[in-house]
Amino acid sequence: MEKIRIVIVDDSSFSIAILRDILEEKGYEVVGEAGSLDEVKEVIKDKKPALVTMDMTLPGTDGFECTRAIHEIDSNIKVIVVSSMMDEEIVNEAKENKVSAYIQKPVDPDELIAAINRVMGSEELYKLLETDSFPVFKESLLDGVNRMTKTLLTYKDEYSANKEYISNGMTVIIGIIGKFAGRMVIDLSKETAENMATALLRRTPKNNDEMIGAIAEFANIISGNACSLLNRKDRSLGLRVAPPSILHGDNVHISAPRFKTNTAIAETNFGDILINVGFTRGEEKWM
Amino acid sequence: MDVNHVNPFMESFLNVMPQLGFSTVEKGKLSVKGKDLLSSGVIIIVGIVGAIKGNIVYSIDIEDAKKIASTMMMGMPVDELNDIAQSALSELTNMLTANAATRFADLGISIDISTPTLLHGNDIALKMSSNQVLCIQLLADNIPIEVNIAFDN
Repeated sequence: MEKIRIVIVDDSSFSIAILRDILEEKGYEVVGEAGSLDEVKEVIKDKKPALVTMDMTLPGTDGFECTRAIHEIDSNIKVIVVSSMMDEEIVNEAKENKVSAYIQKPVDPDELIAAINRVMGSEELYKLLETDSFPVFKESLLDGVNRMTKTLLTYKDEYSANKEYISNGMTVIIGIIGKFAGRMVIDLSKETAENMATALLRRTPKNNDEMIGAIAEFANIISGNACSLLNRKDRSLGLRVAPPSILHGDNVHISAPRFKTNTAIAETNFGDILINVGFTRGEEKWM
Repeated sequence: MDVNHVNPFMESFLNVMPQLGFSTVEKGKLSVKGKDLLSSGVIIIVGIVGAIKGNIVYSIDIEDAKKIASTMMMGMPVDELNDIAQSALSELTNMLTANAATRFADLGISIDISTPTLLHGNDIALKMSSNQVLCIQLLADNIPIEVNIAFDN
């Protein structure tokens, strides 16, 4: 694997020496250093690092102004603040300035390395979600239908086109939160929902509320199982699900989000069930 | 359900909307609803997990939604609720909820938010997971936005 290229921004030669020693010992490549806003811009353009360690107090500028300058040049460069100051307010401001992690001086080498691994690993982690999440959700739906109704389903159609679609009648929306945020949507006709609820309850639902409750819990189990499986693949995903919201109406349009989602249509004994899942790369959570 | 949980959402609205080009922001009425909601227009759902679990449902009349999207896009005319307008509205609720989450953190309540899901249509029946839903009406340049807070107990 290629060495990760790092630039150190600090106005203290002592701090630079310490950071350089820690990083080089762990096999990272320190490609430059800077102590002022002008130097930061120059070294970033010149060296194109993947990651920058950023001091907060710098002559004539501060770590946030420098971070913004770096992201103006290349928004993909990750910035880790390394500062003697650390309180809630400054950490919140760091988040607003798209800082990826915050470490307090004196630097604990293990903490710094863990932060770098976490920050640089997030790209790989997202790729894992991109490739693995949908198959896992599909499997979870299949498994859920099988275990809760003792029937099988087959997937007859699958696509990842992002376009608005009209609900078949009933939609369950479950927000997903963790290292990356996303959502799962289950959509089915009212008739399918009634058939399904009857199978889940092993009797006819007493009323509409009970029918909706059964479908909501079914969707909750599907999403919860899928997220647990994904968390087992990589613990740092930390996925959790929000409670289900159930909508129904004659003409409900569900809009396409800005991020890529995958859709599959499952043919079941009860009727067709649509499952749609997607995660967004942006707005990573600090963990 | 704790009425104090409404404040972060009001504060977030009063703080975020002026940054998006709205000149007047006001608090409207506060009401308590059951778990069943009926709504027409644009509905945006944002999931919440952490110290509190639940969902926030933003509800805006379709014409009002176009006006909000237009203001957010520096006055660009929005005749239909197209992709850009929907994206602007989703982003708005993302900002509002994220800002509220920061305010919850200041209260020592740590929450994380999901991506927003936007739907639109007429007479959409919603069933929330919590038994009670707190509804606050907030106005930006006299355009009402309904924020329904459904937190599990």
